Amino acid sequence: MSLAPSSARPLACLKQALRQCRAERHQLRQYATAESHYPSLQTRYPAPSPGFRTSHATKQNRPEVNMKKIAVVPPPRSIKKVCPDPIEALYQSQLKTLDPTGARTRLFAKTNVDRAQVGDILLVRLKSGDPFSGVCINIRRRHSPIDTAVLLRNQLTRVGVEMWFKIYSPNVEGIEVVQRKQGRRARRAKLYYMRKPSHDMGSVEGVTAQYIRQRAGGTTRGKAGGQKKKSKSKK
Amino acid sequence: MPPRLSPFVQRLPPRFLCPAVPRSFFRALGSIQPKPRTNPERFNHGHDLPVLISSRTSAFLRKEPMLPLRTGAIAIKKGMSAIYDPVTAKRIPCTVLQLDRCQVISHKRRDIHGYWAVQVGCGTKEAHNVSRPERGHFAAQGVPLKRHLAEFRVKNAEGLPEIGSTISADLFQEGQFVDARAITRGMGFAGGMKRHGFSGQPASHGNSLTHRAMGSAGASQGSGSRVLPGKKMAGRMGAEMHTVQNLKILKVDVENGIIVVNGAVPGPKKGIVKLQDAIMKPWPNIDPSVGVSGMGSTAEKLEASV
Repeated sequence: MSLAPSSARPLACLKQALRQCRAERHQLRQYATAESHYPSLQTRYPAPSPGFRTSHATKQNRPEVNMKKIAVVPPPRSIKKVCPDPIEALYQSQLKTLDPTGARTRLFAKTNVDRAQVGDILLVRLKSGDPFSGVCINIRRRHSPIDTAVLLRNQLTRVGVEMWFKIYSPNVEGIEVVQRKQGRRARRAKLYYMRKPSHDMGSVEGVTAQYIRQRAGGTTRGKAGGQKKKSKSKK
Repeated sequence: MPPRLSPFVQRLPPRFLCPAVPRSFFRALGSIQPKPRTNPERFNHGHDLPVLISSRTSAFLRKEPMLPLRTGAIAIKKGMSAIYDPVTAKRIPCTVLQLDRCQVISHKRRDIHGYWAVQVGCGTKEAHNVSRPERGHFAAQGVPLKRHLAEFRVKNAEGLPEIGSTISADLFQEGQFVDARAITRGMGFAGGMKRHGFSGQPASHGNSLTHRAMGSAGASQGSGSRVLPGKKMAGRMGAEMHTVQNLKILKVDVENGIIVVNGAVPGPKKGIVKLQDAIMKPWPNIDPSVGVSGMGSTAEKLEASV
């Protein structure tokens, strides 16, 4: 409502003000009577001291005033600052001994564009026993890089043979890429379809034998796998 | 007929002089014959007698040959992994444990407490989270506050390192065997199949609604129509102290406080594990000062500071 004075009733503006005054007085009277009507609303205890916090209400947190002070020795440096992830530290120390040059790690690192991939023909040289070569049909990466393993498939005496090799195993002397996958890259992570007779590559012994002959002779005949093997390979 | 008073009661002062004395009591007393005093010599008291088998002293003596010579350490379980055995090139499952500010807090002495033990603490705690009596215990020894405390019993006083000294990972050597004690993970209320490995019932062949039940709890009339004490049944499983003996130490990293042991260790990750020399193997031939660097207690300095 506006308080604009009208020319016909000059004192009409006072009417609004008086009405407000009356309402306020009525309210004040109600506040005054509230205390006497409701004693439960009155505070029974004196107000808390200025430094009081609600957590002090429990006995354990009560400030120790007028008590003998107990000195506390500062704690030593936390081991978390030194070694926050001991399992990772164990992996790193293991890698240092298992793969000192880092070649094996690079060969299977996901960041490396020239890494060994499924579909490639790999040759695994072992400390004890004959080397094994085959098409890599699965690369298993679990928990940590150390657990990485490859599944190689080959045919020996016309029987399909598959072997798992842990790439960091002390038994494995070196891993070499004999031949990259021909044509386009594999569209699957696991090439288990190669177990089917219609997709089976058959024996890769011939490819491997040629590769070994080349490497021994040092002649490069411009083979696709020929140049690549130098950058990759063994520890 | 009024009962006759005994001569003893008759000798009492008259009733009006001491009215509170009950006269009937003395009357009854007269009939009780005094018993002969028990002879204290009927027990064997001599100092040269053999120690009773069920006594505390004999329990201590029985255990003594099994007690380790050195203290143990409190480690924190960080998780499981595997490492290659350099000889056989096999991948061995292992548990990674870490020591976190592991220190000797106090001693338990045979003459005072009845046994020899080292109290070891690890971790840390904010002072306002530690009760006053506990803070007093740490301050009296002059050592920092610890989150976890544990005792490691040792054979004699030579196994007690200096209070306040830090226990490092090289307390244990690679190839050594240890016992790991920890509280297992709590499984809650578990059935007989999970808790005790009962076979359960077949899945089919007309079976219905009863596949994992305990089965019978015992025979009827022949064996007394009751359940024999100690019968394995469903109940709370886990969350109890468990010891795994003879775990081989595979790797020790002093800087990072890492101890790698062969196989599994009870308890969840981040749980505390008590490690001590294996009691089933010959004691390691190691100088007792190895792995325990004497930092010393600051009790005197603390006294001065307050």
